[in-house]
Amino acid sequence: MSELESVINLCRMVQAGKIEPFAIDFDYVIGVIRKHYPGIRDVRDFCVDAEALKELSGVLERQNKWIEHQSSTLYKDPFMLSQQLMRMDIGAIAEAFLKSWHPVSEMEQVSARTLAESLGYWGGLIPLDERWRGPDVEEVETGTATMGEAVELGLIPEEGFMGLVEGFWRELGARVGPGGRIDYWDWVGAETYRETVYRAYITVFMVGYGYANVEWDRLLEETVMVHNPEPRPDPGRSKVSLPVMVDYEEWTSWRRE
Amino acid sequence: MAKRVSKAEQAYARKVKDAVHLLFFKHHKLPGVRGWELRQELGPDWQSVLEVLDKQLQPLDLQVTSVTDDPSIVEPTSGQLADARFYITLRGTVDQKTAKTIGWRIDDIAGLAVAVAYIISKQGKAPRTDVERVLGDKLPGWRVKLNLDRYIQQGYLAVDEQGVMFLDWRARAEIDTKKLVDLVVGFGKKQAEA
Repeated sequence: MSELESVINLCRMVQAGKIEPFAIDFDYVIGVIRKHYPGIRDVRDFCVDAEALKELSGVLERQNKWIEHQSSTLYKDPFMLSQQLMRMDIGAIAEAFLKSWHPVSEMEQVSARTLAESLGYWGGLIPLDERWRGPDVEEVETGTATMGEAVELGLIPEEGFMGLVEGFWRELGARVGPGGRIDYWDWVGAETYRETVYRAYITVFMVGYGYANVEWDRLLEETVMVHNPEPRPDPGRSKVSLPVMVDYEEWTSWRRE
Repeated sequence: MAKRVSKAEQAYARKVKDAVHLLFFKHHKLPGVRGWELRQELGPDWQSVLEVLDKQLQPLDLQVTSVTDDPSIVEPTSGQLADARFYITLRGTVDQKTAKTIGWRIDDIAGLAVAVAYIISKQGKAPRTDVERVLGDKLPGWRVKLNLDRYIQQGYLAVDEQGVMFLDWRARAEIDTKKLVDLVVGFGKKQAEA
């Protein structure tokens, strides 16, 4: 083993807590690295040199932590602590531990609700042979579609996207009156979850482009839509972002209410 | 106004209840919940909800405890608290009789105390062989290995691939290390004074 490798192992012993950080003589180790540096001939030598420097910096880090630890209130001389532990009988050590021990409280319980939900999940679970079946993939040639066909397929709204947003704004105005307010879920909520997600999607743009405002009550977890009598769809103005989760469970509970 | 206050109280009560469900029941492999999970479930005022819960748990001798991944953090920032793990722990301590009823022999408790105190005295890291040697002074060899494995399995101690031991999540959540070290160091003085 080369001198540099011995130095690397020595530094690693500090990292492993086998020797105290200040047992390493920094000047000696850096002296060894310096001595070998001009003799580097290939990549391997260079890597060993870099490794030695890295490990030495790790020692410095441990020395720094050691000083921080010593200056903290937690520091007690390790030798004294070991001696004390040897002096104390098992009962006294256990007593000291119990005075500083605050066990975690944890519970594990299956409720009737969890069981019912799990049964529901089990019922809806597709059998393994169906789940693991490879997908039926059919190669389809790429093609083109006209604007009219895309509109017909529902991919592009007939009235244009902004027309759609303005239609929503007019609907909001009709429902709550100019400047009126409505609960977010009462606004986006629809008969189907698909329709609800669609309404929430368009609402994001309605708020973003200034056709409506939104107010949050963080404590009560209420979100209210406010109709804007004078929309400001000015692309130069700052946009408002509306991050609201349209959760399926929330939609079902809204439907129940 | 009164209606609004009452509604706010109801919202808080519901959030405290949600916090109890999250903190008392084990949801992952390990007990406890990360701060960001609490924020996700309880909303932006999650820390205030925990303060209310902590006050409500006081008469029951329980408390809300947070543990950061980095043991050197004394006063965590909001960001660090979001990453911290939160637990419900006993506010007070247990006596030997109670410890026995929850499955701890006096030897096991003393062994854990010695291992923890020794590792702390070594700046939080010590080779397993050294810990075994210290415990071996007062416990038979077979028991030392068995106990250390048990402490590791329970999450009090951990050992890396190089055989270096350090305090694991449960030790940091449950043990007031400063008090333990003070009690050990002050043991002789207390006796001399008496």
